[in-house]
Amino acid sequence: MIKITIDGIEVQTDREITILEAAKQVGIEIPTLCTFKNLSPSGSCRMCLVEIERLSRPQTACTVKITDGMVVRTNSEAIMRARKAVLEFLLINHPLDCPVCDKAGECILQDLSAKYGAAAGRFKEGKRTNPVSFEDPVIVRDMQRCILCTRCVRTCDDLQGAFAISVINRGSHSLIEPFSGGRFDCEYCGNCLSACPVGAITSKLHRHTYRPWYIERQVETICGHCGVGCTLTLQMRENTIIRVIPDFEKGLNSGMLCVMGRFGYDYTEHEERLRSPLIRKDGELVPVSWEEAVEFTAWRLKELVKKYGGGAVAGIASGRCTNEDNYMLQKLIRYVLGSNNIDSAARLFYRPAVSYLERMFGQGITANLIPGIANSDGVFVAGGDPTTINPVLGIAVRSVWKKGGKVFVVGKSGGLRSNIKHELNHAEGAGALVLTWILAKVYEKKNFISENSIIDKKLSALKVPDMDMLVRVGVSPEALQYTADELVRLKNPVVIIGPETVLYGNGSKNLFLLGALNYVLNGRLFVLMDEPNTQGCLDMGCSPGVLVGGRPVELETFGHKMENTAGMKTPEGTGLNLFEMINGANSGSIKAMFVMGENPVFNIPDKKKVESALQKLEFLAVSDIFLTETASLADVVFPASAWSEKDGTYTNLERRLQRLRKGTMSSRGRADWKILADICKALGMKESYTDVKSVWDEISRISSVHSGVRYESLIGRGGIWPYGGEPLRGIEGDFEVEGLEDMPELPGFAQSGRVILKEDKSLIHSSSLSRYSPALMGVASEPLLMINPVTAQSLGLSDNERVVITSDKGTAVAILRADRGMPEGVAALSNTFKDNGFRSIVGYTIDPTLKSLNITDRVVTIERAKQL
Amino acid sequence: MPQVTTERLKILRGKIYELMELYPSYQAALLPSFFVAEEIFGFISPEAIGEISNVTGVPAAEIRGVASFYAMYKTKPMGRHIIQLCTNVSCMIEGAYDLVEYLKEKYGLTPGGTTPDGRFSLVIMECIGACGTAPAMILDTDSYENLTKDRLDTLLESYK
Ligand code: SF4
Ligand code: SF4
Ligand code: SF4
Ligand code: FES
Repeated sequence: MIKITIDGIEVQTDREITILEAAKQVGIEIPTLCTFKNLSPSGSCRMCLVEIERLSRPQTACTVKITDGMVVRTNSEAIMRARKAVLEFLLINHPLDCPVCDKAGECILQDLSAKYGAAAGRFKEGKRTNPVSFEDPVIVRDMQRCILCTRCVRTCDDLQGAFAISVINRGSHSLIEPFSGGRFDCEYCGNCLSACPVGAITSKLHRHTYRPWYIERQVETICGHCGVGCTLTLQMRENTIIRVIPDFEKGLNSGMLCVMGRFGYDYTEHEERLRSPLIRKDGELVPVSWEEAVEFTAWRLKELVKKYGGGAVAGIASGRCTNEDNYMLQKLIRYVLGSNNIDSAARLFYRPAVSYLERMFGQGITANLIPGIANSDGVFVAGGDPTTINPVLGIAVRSVWKKGGKVFVVGKSGGLRSNIKHELNHAEGAGALVLTWILAKVYEKKNFISENSIIDKKLSALKVPDMDMLVRVGVSPEALQYTADELVRLKNPVVIIGPETVLYGNGSKNLFLLGALNYVLNGRLFVLMDEPNTQGCLDMGCSPGVLVGGRPVELETFGHKMENTAGMKTPEGTGLNLFEMINGANSGSIKAMFVMGENPVFNIPDKKKVESALQKLEFLAVSDIFLTETASLADVVFPASAWSEKDGTYTNLERRLQRLRKGTMSSRGRADWKILADICKALGMKESYTDVKSVWDEISRISSVHSGVRYESLIGRGGIWPYGGEPLRGIEGDFEVEGLEDMPELPGFAQSGRVILKEDKSLIHSSSLSRYSPALMGVASEPLLMINPVTAQSLGLSDNERVVITSDKGTAVAILRADRGMPEGVAALSNTFKDNGFRSIVGYTIDPTLKSLNITDRVVTIERAKQL
Repeated sequence: MPQVTTERLKILRGKIYELMELYPSYQAALLPSFFVAEEIFGFISPEAIGEISNVTGVPAAEIRGVASFYAMYKTKPMGRHIIQLCTNVSCMIEGAYDLVEYLKEKYGLTPGGTTPDGRFSLVIMECIGACGTAPAMILDTDSYENLTKDRLDTLLESYK
């Protein structure tokens, strides 16, 4: 027990804390500038000076730890003078023009100067000048205002792990640089911006339009860009978001955000937002009233069901919409129209991956906590870059490295390149080879005795490649040996699985290898999820074989739970999945489709095929916030509410249920659940819903995993899987691995002049939504083709050239970017930009075991674009 | 100014690997590798910073921070010869500012600047330890004392 006295007040603790922390415990405020939440103390600003008895000089409260019997004074006259003097020093160079500074009103320096008064300095020399820099997108730097507290640098290094900035120059010429996207690794997360106590780093988005006192409302909500589900605060003025700020007290992200979450909110204000329902009349989409659109849709659906039966209708749900939206869509498709044909883009990766792993290990195997990653001593990543797909989860991986843990990445290391010791970047198509070798070695070294004979048997059936093969695919023996040796030593490992494991190559085998590795290591599994509510979309039964809460359709046919609890009769038999729906539309067995918040024409490969399938439908209804490639083919288009305009719940990749809250009071559209409920009503549904809460109430009555979870109680960690309910089932038995006993094949290397194309997930963009965000477009405005510099050179192409990429399925235009992280003979293009998306120019097959997307037709030629 | 070519970057890379052998940590190899970069490119160019970062694993931003901290490194393109002229008290009293003015008039050379023909750059120094023989300067690696305008002319003449 340590006892100290601060300003005559006694403080007792059993931990060795700093004077600053001790003072805080008893409500004594000590001014600080360089101290910031979650950052280790630096003691550089001298603002926190206090007197300690028996010490001749004042000490910094933020760095000095308390010792028993210490007597501290924070309010003596000498200390007041010291504070004033420190401020006087800071203001030698700091401009005194607060009224033009965006930080005014929430600036710590301003507040302290007002309090301790040192505005009139005694220094006659001129102030240091540094021009304001607008060089960077989204961030404005005004280094005249910098007080060199290094909060930004420490945030960037220690928390974000980007190491993009540092103090440059010396003495009074010091300033913080270089940001300057791409060239110096800045990821534009803006976390330095929330750390800056003054107006030296500010957001470009609200430059000169923001003042703290303009804020009329603050709303705590969840980011809508990816499956991490960061908590953030919308600051509203009238009906617009003035800015997004992090919340340091709540949420799994502890105040960290990524570029999409912090700056990518402005798509909601895009001028192309749909404002009115549209109906196709004489080939043209024309604005109509809500009533007309709802009536028309109900009438058409009813007519088509009558004519062709419920099985001719299909619905596509969305991981961008809330649980309530998705629930209502499946209610329409299943219970009102009588069809189990409901699926979503979760089919493209997340759903097959998770359900395969759940068949191996039981339901909920991937429901692990993101903040827990930071406590692990080693992370194994395969199939995608967590720092770009789920950025804040990626930061957690970096923090493992920061604390001395190990990070291993199979494939391109991307945003984790500074955190690994050895590259395990292999030739395209050799992932299974590398994984098999690692798994076999770890299995052998661990001397593992499994209690799961199914997995054991499969493990012993594996054929292990020899080192020679691995060297031929570009992996060094040293790197492999290191990986195997270090993996066995881990006490608390994490395995992260990304989409490439399924999208290219043998999905079931890759998943088996990674699942088994995790099993042998006794680790925690994470599956990356690119949309905010893909998991929720599945939980809501938006999958052909599964009902709300994860109950399989087969069980319902004899269990009748839905019928007994909700009086809803489930259609028999498993419905069609996403691909079968497209085929059905093509062949004419599917006649009508409702697509909610999804853009299949752009997001499913083989654009021409999907487009022509949808065109053959007798009726296509779409609800979305923009007139997407898909919506423009529709017969009816409903303008939906955007993420900031609606209430509801999201379920993130940890299966944490979180509340989305409305910032904007009036929306250009309506919430999807409301649109769908109106259609259901017009088709004779009995229930009425007054608000989103009443939808949730129904869900929590029906779903066994959500049972008893009250809408109001959904805050913080209250809602983690299995929520209030019970898990459904354990391990089911055997599972299939395609080509288990085959030796993974050596990939066929591309012929000269041709390159294998992959999908690139840029940190800046989240699929096709972010193209409507001026802020994100300002950071990355053009499609880029990432390619190995040697390959580029062999094609006679150089950096920053405009190139045409041609496959058997189509062409795209992009700017070439040399990227040493790409293996030779491989290029990557994102699926973001209109007319130039990756998926539009490749084809697909269906994985026989996973029934998932397997991308084909990836061999392309790349040529210099003709001059415009 | 030597062009940045893959060839030159390769030479730099090789030299840094050699330097890294000599020091216990990668960071320690930074300072000497800056001199190598200057030798090859004339200054510590952004490409050189990128390469040093790739090889040593030290983040590029930090490398810029270190390089800009020391006055002796060239962080921007400089002339072939560097005049480091002292203007501290003794030299100032003995007329260093007249010399600065003279360099500007005659050669178009301002402090921190470079002559249009790329021959000389001028750096103002704070005391080079030659107060007894002020005003003084260091030209490349040689030091010259008791400077006058005429002497300056003759000296500069010999640096092509
Ligand atoms: S925006 Fe993020 S990555 Fe860029 S300097 Fe700031 S903290 Fe670092
Ligand atoms: S830019 Fe802001 S956070 Fe960074 S050192 Fe300067 S004052 Fe501190
Ligand atoms: S990590 Fe995902 S949820 Fe978090 S701010 Fe970024 S996009 Fe949003
Ligand atoms: S807060 Fe203690 S020195 Fe800055």
